[in-house]
Amino acid sequence: MQTQKQLLIAGLVALTVAAAQAAGDAKKIVVDGSTTVGPIAKAFAEYYMKAHPDVNITVSESGSGNGAKGIINGSIDVGTMSRAMKTEELDAAKGKKRNPVQHIVAFDGIAAVVHPSNPVKNLSKDQLRDIYTGEINNWKKVGGPDLKIVVISRDTNSGTYETFQEKVTKSERVTDRAEYVGSNGAVRQRVQSTPGAIGYVGLAFTEGVKALTVNEIEATTDNVISKKYPISRGLFMYTDGAPAAGTALADYVGLYKTADGKKLVGDQGYVPVQ
Amino acid sequence: MLRLGTRKLLDRSFTGLGVLSITLLTAALLILLAPMCLRGIGAYVFQGTVEFRRVLLEKLQRGDRDELKRELAATARARQPVFDALLAFQQELDRMPATQRRKLKPEFEQVRAAVKELLGPLPGEEIPLMMRSQYGQTRWDRAQVKIRKILFAEDYDFSGGGLGRKMLKPRATTFHGTALEPLFAYVEHHAVAMLAPQWTFYGRFLTDESHDAHFFGGIGPEALGTLYLTLGAILFAVPMGVIAAIYLVEYARENRLVRLLRICISTLAGVPSIVFGLFGLAFFINTVHLSANKSVLVGALTLGLLILPTIIRASEEALRAVPEAYKQAALSLGAGHWRSVRTVILPAALPGILTGVIISMGRAAGETAPIIFTAAVSVGKPLTLWQTLSQPTPALPWNIYNLCSEHVAVDEIRHVQYGMVFTLVVLVLLLNLAAIIVRARISKGLRT
Amino acid sequence: MRTGMMNSAKSSLMLSRSANRNQRLTRWFGEGFLLVVTSLSMLAVLFILIFIARDALPFFSWTHFKEFFVSTAWYPTQNPPSFGALSILFGSLLVTLGAALVAIPLGLTAAVCLSDVLPFRVRQTVKPVVEMLAAIPSVAYGFFALIVFAPALQEHGGPMLAWAFWLVVTPFLALTLLVLADLAAARFAENRQSLVRGLVFALLGAMAAWGLWKTGRRLHGLEISSGTNALNAAIILGIMALPTMVSVAEDALQAIGRDLRMASYALGATRAETLVRVVIPAAASGILAAAILAIMRAIGETMVVWMASGNAARIPEPWYNLLEPVRTLTATIAGDMGEADQSAGSAHYHVLFAMALVLLLFSLVCNMISERMIARTRRRLR
Repeated sequence: MQTQKQLLIAGLVALTVAAAQAAGDAKKIVVDGSTTVGPIAKAFAEYYMKAHPDVNITVSESGSGNGAKGIINGSIDVGTMSRAMKTEELDAAKGKKRNPVQHIVAFDGIAAVVHPSNPVKNLSKDQLRDIYTGEINNWKKVGGPDLKIVVISRDTNSGTYETFQEKVTKSERVTDRAEYVGSNGAVRQRVQSTPGAIGYVGLAFTEGVKALTVNEIEATTDNVISKKYPISRGLFMYTDGAPAAGTALADYVGLYKTADGKKLVGDQGYVPVQ
Repeated sequence: MLRLGTRKLLDRSFTGLGVLSITLLTAALLILLAPMCLRGIGAYVFQGTVEFRRVLLEKLQRGDRDELKRELAATARARQPVFDALLAFQQELDRMPATQRRKLKPEFEQVRAAVKELLGPLPGEEIPLMMRSQYGQTRWDRAQVKIRKILFAEDYDFSGGGLGRKMLKPRATTFHGTALEPLFAYVEHHAVAMLAPQWTFYGRFLTDESHDAHFFGGIGPEALGTLYLTLGAILFAVPMGVIAAIYLVEYARENRLVRLLRICISTLAGVPSIVFGLFGLAFFINTVHLSANKSVLVGALTLGLLILPTIIRASEEALRAVPEAYKQAALSLGAGHWRSVRTVILPAALPGILTGVIISMGRAAGETAPIIFTAAVSVGKPLTLWQTLSQPTPALPWNIYNLCSEHVAVDEIRHVQYGMVFTLVVLVLLLNLAAIIVRARISKGLRT
Repeated sequence: MRTGMMNSAKSSLMLSRSANRNQRLTRWFGEGFLLVVTSLSMLAVLFILIFIARDALPFFSWTHFKEFFVSTAWYPTQNPPSFGALSILFGSLLVTLGAALVAIPLGLTAAVCLSDVLPFRVRQTVKPVVEMLAAIPSVAYGFFALIVFAPALQEHGGPMLAWAFWLVVTPFLALTLLVLADLAAARFAENRQSLVRGLVFALLGAMAAWGLWKTGRRLHGLEISSGTNALNAAIILGIMALPTMVSVAEDALQAIGRDLRMASYALGATRAETLVRVVIPAAASGILAAAILAIMRAIGETMVVWMASGNAARIPEPWYNLLEPVRTLTATIAGDMGEADQSAGSAHYHVLFAMALVLLLFSLVCNMISERMIARTRRRLR
């Protein structure tokens, strides 16, 4: 048993070395996946390419599902995902003799935001859930003015949506009144222009809108690190096998552990891994 | 029965209705194009600040080093009072009683952040990693937004109950009597000296690579990607389309097969573009494995299929428009059928075919839905010809969508979005203009 | 006919038996080659059908069939997921209907104007306008809808709608009144006619003006909570579909020859009467084909609806409320495909192909009908 495992690991290492060498020859790293992790992947790519001009890193943001698919098919080197791989995806990867390795590159807190003219300052997690499931549909019921709540959500296909669902609405369905928009920036814009709106965005996107406290806890980087803030999640990069040390791929993916990498993550408005 | 007068009036108002609809059509076109062109030109021609010239020199090695040095020295002198005021207030803040400090500190942080956005990192500060925080505002229009942010705080008055009323509170009053107060008047009146805006023509916007997710630089990879995709689609669709048209016009007999072929061609023309995209994904990528993932090749093939019916139809029409006398003359001179097609009919139909080709080029350049799953990515370097076989590319249509609805800082890079739309629209309209000119030539040629 | 002529030309040029055989052989091969290349488009259609259906059928085979068409609960990522696409199908239809309401009347009048009213010289300058509208890429329309039109609609939506309503309805109402007054007056004696006409016109006019004012005020006071809604998408889609409508309808109108028009004029009809009573009915099937093609353009469009329709998977309340956000088939496919896990063959992946299949079948049927219509016009004219 033990030897088998060792053999497997050795084989995998050999495979990844070979793959890394093949990739090293072409000097390209293909990154695909989540739009949420996109800014980090892009910042890492620019940072890395500046230091290593011979490496071409392409970053696509076609969705977490595409990230997983690319890793399973072996068509990309790094899959960025704002959710962990599902069991079905892991099974499919095993079926193709791949070994997806997860790297948590950052954390992201999700802030509930409202129009700055809205006097409401705090919502409990339950109130937030009730607003999103449609049970509460007027600000009056949570201590605000008599105004219909316009519920803004990220697209159901986004990792942010899935996290919000996992942490807030749980198994209940988001109201069908919710309007869906494609990005954090777009949510902010919608909330900014609509007095009755509520939305949820990554911590980096609260400028110009009012971030609510949830259970009286402010959505700040510190509170996300200390896990006091209830709505946060990890952001992932997946590789096929652990990349061999010294390769461009290992350096790229490992950036999140370096001081510069942490700063890049922080500058993008995400919470670096401690 | 209606009176004659009423009938005449109705007739005239009918004419009026028609003219109105044409006016509406034209108005729609103008309303659509005006913002795109006016603001789109702003990506190429704008008032660039000294920061813009710094980016050009430091990142793209363009411009006059000594000239910039002088300019930087001048602007640095102009900026010094701002930095001094910030520093002085920082010290003052430390001496303040705790209650007052707690009140002023957050807003001071806002001012400091806004100043950094306007002018770049403060002197003595460590150079930030992100390029967007290494430089101040490169464009004067954006700089003015930031200046407003320094001068005024947005505040809401909740005293009336219900929704708060928005108030713009001058920060100068908040910081009245402190060392920070003179900063606001200074920024308001010396902004030009601090940033030295100059009218700039940035033609390389079209060919420059983007830096730091389109905060700086141009749209080179996108433009090149669009070019590759369009040419690839044409390369695939034109031979196919023209051959099919020749067969249908010159050789096909009216039988069931040919009727079926015609139905298929018109059906292909009616397939929604997103379905082409799905087909490209399901067939070229997931079934034939033409490339492991998205690639220019797959995108071009998908787009080629999309424009195939247009090209067939245009070529068919052009071939049919060749006067029968030409063919008879060629045949009577002893040329075989194929030879007469090749040497007489095809050349005569060429301008017509060309019109169709040019119009479908415009279509291929502008389509987004088919390339979402087959070719387009949001960030990438410009590709070499060889790489197009296996690698995806950014492309104008997709990146317009991406930048205006998925980018981190949608508002900050509005000018890039408008610039992209403008470039794409101009490209497509120029192609169409070319088609119109070619067609005009033909009709003139036929008349004489 | 052409072939026959060619054959006769060829036989007169025949040189020898072997040359003839060679010629035949090359011709046979050549034609075969051409046929094969031509069949490629047939193959493409076939393959598109097969591959879309191949990935769509697994979804339907899992007893999702009923849910897909009946339920409005679209929660593809929930656990357990539900794939009710009714609201999305409805969204597509609603937006398309709105677009048709913009494109068909406007396009038809523009086509009539182009073919019968405007002098040749003006027509030459107007045609490029239509062509430019057709050439502008859909993503540019979407950009306009999202960045320019949506904020305008959200902030000044009420007044905009009110003015548009007044502008469009007032002339029509005035004309209708005129006709009604005339018809009413015709029943009276000659000397009383102008009095009756004036009375009826004044009476109905006052009522109409009151109605106009009331409705306009109501529209004026309308609060639009979101600029990205069905109305936005419908208007922009309508403008996008206009060129198709105009050019196909104009072709149909032109195909009705001068004879018919001249005959009508000779009977004393005015131009308007000729057009409404004679030309348009004669070209009806061609115009219908134009309308169908315009509708196909609208329902198959992706970028505009993705960017401008708000993407809420829900049937508006009441169902015709264009001011609420809707979600369409094309936008769902474009938006969801990236996140659906594709490798594991998940239902989410296949349901998107099912939507594509619905779209595809719809456009196939529409296409068939419009082809029939165009063929019918042609046959009748011959």
